[in-house]
Amino acid sequence: MSEPLLSVRDLSVVFAGEDGPRTLIDSLSFDLGKGEILGLVGESGSGKSLTCRSLVRLMPSPKLAITSGTVMLDGKDLTTVSEADIREVRGRDIGMIFQNPTSHLDPLMRIGDQIAEGIRVHRGVDSKEARAVALDILAQVGFPHPARQYNGYPHEFSGGMRQRAMIGVALSCDPRILIADEPTTALDVTIQAQILRLLMDLRESRGLSVILITHDLGIVAQTCDRIAVLRQGRLLEIGDKRDVLGRPQHPYTQNLIASHPSMPERQALAVIAQEPVPLKARPLVEIDDLHVRFPVTGRGLFSGGPREFAAVKGVSLQVMPGETVGIVGESGSGKSTLARALLGLTPISEGHVTFDGADIVTERTKALRKLRRETAMVFQDPYNALNPRLTIGATLAEVLAVQESVPKERIPERIGELLDLVGLEREFASRKPLSMSGGQCQRAGIARALAVNPKLIVADECVAALDVTIQAQIVDLFRDLKQRLNLTLLFIAHDLAIVRNLCERVVVMYHGQIVEEGPTEDVFSAPREAYTQALIDAIPDIDPDKPLVSPRGGDALAEETSGLVTGEIS
Amino acid sequence: MHRYKFVLHRPLQFLPVLFGISVITFVLVRLIPGDPARVLLGTKSTPAAIAAIRAQYGLDQPIWLQYFYFLQNLAHGEMGKSILYKIDVLKLITTRIEPTLTLVLCSVLLSLVIAMPLASLAARSNGGPADHAVRFVSTFGIGFPPFWLALMLIIFFSVRLDVFPVSGYGETVVDKLYHLILPSLTIALSLSTVLIRSLRTAMIAELKGDVATAARARGMPESIVFWRHVMPNSLVPTVNLLAVNVGWLIGGTVVVESVFALPGMGQLLVRAIFSRDYMVVQGVAMVFACATVLVNFLADIVTVAIDPRVKQ
Repeated sequence: MSEPLLSVRDLSVVFAGEDGPRTLIDSLSFDLGKGEILGLVGESGSGKSLTCRSLVRLMPSPKLAITSGTVMLDGKDLTTVSEADIREVRGRDIGMIFQNPTSHLDPLMRIGDQIAEGIRVHRGVDSKEARAVALDILAQVGFPHPARQYNGYPHEFSGGMRQRAMIGVALSCDPRILIADEPTTALDVTIQAQILRLLMDLRESRGLSVILITHDLGIVAQTCDRIAVLRQGRLLEIGDKRDVLGRPQHPYTQNLIASHPSMPERQALAVIAQEPVPLKARPLVEIDDLHVRFPVTGRGLFSGGPREFAAVKGVSLQVMPGETVGIVGESGSGKSTLARALLGLTPISEGHVTFDGADIVTERTKALRKLRRETAMVFQDPYNALNPRLTIGATLAEVLAVQESVPKERIPERIGELLDLVGLEREFASRKPLSMSGGQCQRAGIARALAVNPKLIVADECVAALDVTIQAQIVDLFRDLKQRLNLTLLFIAHDLAIVRNLCERVVVMYHGQIVEEGPTEDVFSAPREAYTQALIDAIPDIDPDKPLVSPRGGDALAEETSGLVTGEIS
Repeated sequence: MHRYKFVLHRPLQFLPVLFGISVITFVLVRLIPGDPARVLLGTKSTPAAIAAIRAQYGLDQPIWLQYFYFLQNLAHGEMGKSILYKIDVLKLITTRIEPTLTLVLCSVLLSLVIAMPLASLAARSNGGPADHAVRFVSTFGIGFPPFWLALMLIIFFSVRLDVFPVSGYGETVVDKLYHLILPSLTIALSLSTVLIRSLRTAMIAELKGDVATAARARGMPESIVFWRHVMPNSLVPTVNLLAVNVGWLIGGTVVVESVFALPGMGQLLVRAIFSRDYMVVQGVAMVFACATVLVNFLADIVTVAIDPRVKQ
């Protein structure tokens, strides 16, 4: 690398907490070259987002301060320039995009105006000229009808298009550096692939330098030139992506790479030892031609009868006792609705669901009693799913007392056993969720599910919010529990790699229907449906030499770029 | 413009609401102890005279029949005759509606004029001296009842400084507005305290929020961040709060009109209640109820106009 564009030296950021200062970023040094994509990798709390905020002095809290170091851009130290100067740098030299475009775009402002705003302020042009530039940018970031879509509000667009709009806002003043903070984490894999492709195209066409913050090593492998690994505010390793991924020096990086749920080699007809399911066994769950429809709001006196949105359209599925079935699909595919209908949490419009011989539609009371006693759910966000005011012990005791499965005096003992099962120290019984990490909370959530002594556990995206190393641990835990307790597990996820690692059978859903199902290895190694193939292709592989297959054309892309969401409910 | 389609649909939903309101006011008014005929006749009351008056106004009929006549009159655009003023209630109300309407409008505008800068000041100095000062003053505002506030304003501005009239209403537009300054200020001071609290909280959240961060990240100066992004987003919840407070606002006009001797609906209502003038009380109550429904409807329109996400 020749002359670096941006040069960070010994950057330290300190948080002035009530119990003394805490160093969150510790003497960080790195360079960013022209036209380079640098990946900042690390788990939550590693300081990767804070580092990037510090570059443009956008501190998330007034208690955070840069205490030492320099950030050199064009011979100026950004840590010491005036407030007016740093404002000029923001947007003009360094643009920024965020993980959640929905919350970062102003909901009350037309997206075109949000792009034009920066142009007017930074370049001092009139609104007509700003509008012309904004229209051009909308086209560049992939809006097919800029003139019409200029007037759209953020909520009228899909998640992918909102992220494109956010990129448009960041690029409005032609910056040389783009900081992308987890730009695709909230998006489906196929949309993620499109956004990553857009970033790489923009790098080509504009000579843009990009700092890409991500927790996904697959994304870095596919898009970045160099990788910097951060942990607890320290830079552990930096170098060419092939060096870091191929010959990681630091044990933490090695662990990170090992935890990545990458897809194993695609073998022709992989043979996996699979226990044949006894033919006589009765399915634990039987779903027959299930339809779930929701009324669409906005019904008026003059608009005719109620309109409905079909979230699940004619799904039939059998789950045998002891089986682990993965349900994959993008947001809006109906996978969560299917799970909720099966647990009796959503009214069924048509069809039948039978749990262990009891029909939820015809014998509702009996089936519901059975479901509440013999099934349990594990949720996506462990913090929101646990009562923050109760200790873990109290949460578990509550379930045990209601279920009356163990006598009162044995409850403390049972709590201990449950904590042992999920690999938590027994002292966690007296802790509250907020004092625990995400992984520990999710373990507690699983313990709560196990307290029921369930025959069936439904896990809805239960690792999506966790760091990769934690994800790997939770998946191991499920695998272990499944064997020890002979659990039946319905594992819903958008992450195909995790499903491949854990499940024997996989069901692929698209627009409320099952497009493909079968033994996991068969489906992944030789998908029959184009949609399944597209899903698999869109996953960024950790091997840099297996390039990201460019997003397919066809219906999914057309739908994504058509601009307006069709009212999908995830 | 499909966003505004509810403007066509909503009025149909008003009909059952208005029906319910008419039943309740009709029945409640008749539950007040006392007899209009007795009040009207005063010392001259004899059983025969009372019976005659009651027959004249249909008060001797069963209550459901009275209600039926009331609805029948309403269908013809009449609300019955005032026992006290001897003229049609609707006519009476039309002569009294203007001061009240102007008073409410001035109060709302004035309270926004007071609340917006103060809330902005407080939010931007979040935790600083300005914030504490604004919060201190607005807490006091909540504690002061409007009638007391009205008297204090009269003592200070009218009696001591002699810049505003003590009471009454003018003839010309300018004169009318001049007479309305103190009454509006009374209501606005009370109302603005509620608005300041809501606006301040919303603004503090928005100032720290993602929209503001994104605007700063593209180099927008604090003034644009505040006026273009924070302010509109904070106004959305406040508009609804304002609509909810309209009932309270009407209560406020009743008190303030009495204190300042403004010839408005509030004053009319108070007199009608004292003289058990049933027709006027239920007429005014109906108008107030309709106004509340209407204001909430307007608030919905404003919310849709500010916030494109809202679908009615």
